[in-house]
Amino acid sequence: MADETVFDFLHSELVNYVIEQSELKNKDAKDEDLSNLEYLGFSTGYRMIERLTKEMPRFKDELDTMKFICTDFWTAIYRKQIDNLRTNHQGVYVLQDNGFRFLNNISNGKQYLELAPRYVTFTCGVVRGGLANLGINSLVTAEVQSMPSCKFHIQVQRS
Amino acid sequence: MAICVAIIGKDNSPKYFACSNPDDEINLQYKVLSSLDVIEEKLNTANKVTDFRELFLGTLYSLESHKIYGYVTNTKIKFIIVVDSTNTALRDNEIRSMFRKIHSIYADNICNPFHIPGEPITSKSFHDKATSIMFGTV
Amino acid sequence: MSRSSSRIDTKKVNSELVTLTYGALVAQMIKDLDNADDVSKQLERLGYNMGIRIVEDFLSKTGSGRCLDLKDTADKVQMAFKMYLGVQPNVANWSAAGDEFSFILDSNPLTELVELPDDLKNLKYCNIICGVLRGALEMVHLDVQSWIVQDQLKGDSNTEIRLKFIRRLEDSIPAGED
Repeated sequence: MADETVFDFLHSELVNYVIEQSELKNKDAKDEDLSNLEYLGFSTGYRMIERLTKEMPRFKDELDTMKFICTDFWTAIYRKQIDNLRTNHQGVYVLQDNGFRFLNNISNGKQYLELAPRYVTFTCGVVRGGLANLGINSLVTAEVQSMPSCKFHIQVQRS
Repeated sequence: MAICVAIIGKDNSPKYFACSNPDDEINLQYKVLSSLDVIEEKLNTANKVTDFRELFLGTLYSLESHKIYGYVTNTKIKFIIVVDSTNTALRDNEIRSMFRKIHSIYADNICNPFHIPGEPITSKSFHDKATSIMFGTV
Repeated sequence: MSRSSSRIDTKKVNSELVTLTYGALVAQMIKDLDNADDVSKQLERLGYNMGIRIVEDFLSKTGSGRCLDLKDTADKVQMAFKMYLGVQPNVANWSAAGDEFSFILDSNPLTELVELPDDLKNLKYCNIICGVLRGALEMVHLDVQSWIVQDQLKGDSNTEIRLKFIRRLEDSIPAGED
């Protein structure tokens, strides 16, 4: 089976490519436009969940689905479970990973903290895509206060 | 063999349809679409009343001429298989295994980066695989 | 908070994750660049960047030393294919001069679930591999050319990637992209 580092290398090329393209299109923008990176994650997560849930019994409810994301899904991609899941039971879930795969090799420091969105945006998309295919529409954002810990905020959109 | 295989999307619109006898197509399409209510009903009662969580839903309804079976993925895609009522060789287990095969080729098709999720399935190789599952040749 | 029956094969998922992420990237590039040839070029360039990093990882993990000759290089790259792509190609079709050969893959995880639409038949979907080869070998002072000869996506029975040795790079610092 393929070595796991390939995904790390591919991910960093994804980040470079998206930034390069957004700079080409919009030279004057102050903030990096990472929306395509989020979309790449969405597309990946959406397709991936189809295969991952193939052999699984039906999910009971939203919370059951979130638990799956925190455990099996997370382990499959990031080699570890989410360390903490919190919810207000009204559609907001906070997933905390104390050693997030893409932040593990980055030093702590203010200048690096500013670059953190580059390393978490793809994953926001993966989570949003996976949930969307399971019938849960959401907004997913990430918050990095201190490397390599990361909090993913999922806000379920009720229709 | 089955006489019809259909895939219905999250929004209840048809994504794929194949049947063994083209003359029967409209009739079968009608039967498939009218079985969707039964699926909703089954899913609702399964969730509330029992702890029934299998993806295979069993017989949706049977008529004198046809039996209609359903299966719903975790991603809310509905698979429907229609068999001839006179065909007694196909029992629940065979039907279940056909559904699993369809699920498997469906998941593969979704992973084609050029397939846009939610669009009808037009892939030739998917169609070939689906019809051989329907005819029971795989 | 674990779900009772976990039947996920992590290694398989990891390889699928690479395949799916790569697929999403190619589809995005087609949207951005709107031209199959440009996408193929971009994929090669991206592979080049990855190759530079992969070779370091490879050398540190395997502790392999200098390549004696091109045959030796071919063997090591064959091993790297197995490590990073999960499939082992055959090394074959050596040219008479011994400066050119092919990697032949019976299956290619990158293209396994891909079906090229009719309007993209000239897209070199797995050109990233050629880029990886060029980047990685440049880091060990070998200037090579690499291209796809046969492609399962286009109906060929296997995937054949050709590699041609151009020259040995003398500088200790690899030449930049041209």
